[in-house]
Amino acid sequence: MISQLKYLAKFVLGLDRAERNLTVFPDDTFVVSYPKSGNTWTRFLIANLAYPKEKVDFTTINRLIADPALASKRFLKSLPRPRILKSHEPFDPRYKHVVFIVRDPRDVALSEYHFEVKRKHVDEATPIDHYVSRFVGGETGPYGSWGENVGSWVAARQNNPRFLLLRYEDMLEAPERELAKVAIFLGFEPDPQRLAHAVDESSADRMRKLEQAQADHWSATKNTRKDIPFVRAAKSGGWKTGMPPSSVALIESAWAPLMTLLGYKLSARSPDETSVPGWARVEARTG
Amino acid sequence: MLGQFLYGVKYVLGLDKAGRNLRVYPDDTFVVSYPKSGNTWSRFLIANLSNPGEPATFANINRLIPDPEALSKRSLKKLPRPRILKSHEAFDPRYKKVIYIVRDPRDVVLSEYHFDIKRQLIPEGTPVEERVKLFLEGGTCPYGSWGENVASWLYAREHNPRFLLVRYEDLEADTTRELARLAAFLGIEPTPERLTSAVERSTADQMRKLEKAQAHLWSSTKETRKDKPFVRAAKSGGWRKELPESSLSEIESAWGPLMKKLGYELYVQKSVTAGVEVLDK
Repeated sequence: MISQLKYLAKFVLGLDRAERNLTVFPDDTFVVSYPKSGNTWTRFLIANLAYPKEKVDFTTINRLIADPALASKRFLKSLPRPRILKSHEPFDPRYKHVVFIVRDPRDVALSEYHFEVKRKHVDEATPIDHYVSRFVGGETGPYGSWGENVGSWVAARQNNPRFLLLRYEDMLEAPERELAKVAIFLGFEPDPQRLAHAVDESSADRMRKLEQAQADHWSATKNTRKDIPFVRAAKSGGWKTGMPPSSVALIESAWAPLMTLLGYKLSARSPDETSVPGWARVEARTG
Repeated sequence: MLGQFLYGVKYVLGLDKAGRNLRVYPDDTFVVSYPKSGNTWSRFLIANLSNPGEPATFANINRLIPDPEALSKRSLKKLPRPRILKSHEAFDPRYKKVIYIVRDPRDVVLSEYHFDIKRQLIPEGTPVEERVKLFLEGGTCPYGSWGENVASWLYAREHNPRFLLVRYEDLEADTTRELARLAAFLGIEPTPERLTSAVERSTADQMRKLEKAQAHLWSSTKETRKDKPFVRAAKSGGWRKELPESSLSEIESAWGPLMKKLGYELYVQKSVTAGVEVLDK
């Protein structure tokens, strides 16, 4: 009851976390991804692009590109509009203007594993293949499985001009080219100097330096192991050496059609069942 | 401030409507569909199937297969488990066991148009073409557009054994056969007697009789025009007579691939190559 009264006071004052009760405004933009898919890097890039006068670091990022899963309703309401917000939610029809970042699920699983060890949610001795089987089942977080989350957004919005799909891998390969897409999507002039500046200010090296100085001041790194970094490899393809083949096969057999659609090459020939397009099977049954 | 305080008190006492803040249990089953896609009929069928001792009516359906949008958190918490709940939400990862009912969007828009006149949300005589345009943008309800809602569920869950896709048109064509699939999914022995009884208790005629007597008792019909029925045609294909070709063309060019995938034959656009089909390559 005491905790309920405390919540009542918070609720009335708007100090409770917004989460799913976020009030969405029609001019909001959302930077959405499954966790561990390059969201923080993208937030740095976009913040440096959109707010060139601000100092973008781990102490300011939660204000510049706020996270409704952490911020209070009152704070979110007080932000200047149009807002750019972060999210890991699966498809939400209220989000009308969305930058969606997708990353190879084999790397996502690996990155999440290391992050969960850093956060002490997972014991260091946990074998990766155990973690991957939970990952495939969507049991490692509240945002659905990778395939559910990505599938729901891509299927609902892929032809919508207010949906921008970015691959983390393309951003690594040519950050300025990809950021130019974001600039145009957000209505900024894609000025080469401005883009280059934003990319420099958001480099992995610079983010690592900032992390070393500020890890205790940022929600995602506070109270986590300091011997494991948040900004880790910042590379793609780590799964090729860091993941057992059985786990790779498990991921590929769960999401082969979606991975193929997104241009992620499968390493193993998947069993026939999963390589048959899903709708063909539905049609066979209904037609 | 006062309004917020009152809401806060309700919130703390669990008397506010659950809606998106519903607390989901791992043994919950959800009957999900876009609005006007046969959800109420399915709720009657499922309630009569799973609970033959108490025939479903408009007075008890919100208790038998509750709607988190219409009930408070506290009353939802009190229900016996496992619960079977109704929903119109787009993909929600917390819903682990889902019966998804889909209906031809050309009929959905028409049904919604008539329902919104009944609910006095739009004036009688509103051109149907106008509604179709708004419907395509997802502007007629808070659950996304038809295409967004259906695609989000289908592509997140279609290979999942705990996801059952049911077409309204199949339910109409062979109710007993489709109800047997539902029974198997819910772990209910599909004996012929039990299926037949559930189907008979849920016919459009039976539901029309109940509506006449109980419209004032049910959240969806209370305070709506009584000269327009909730249980309307209960048929598929009404669009062939009532929708102009321009509207059909708009719907089919927006969602052609998804409609084809679901087995809804296109009327205007015979060949579609763009769109969701890409996902299936």
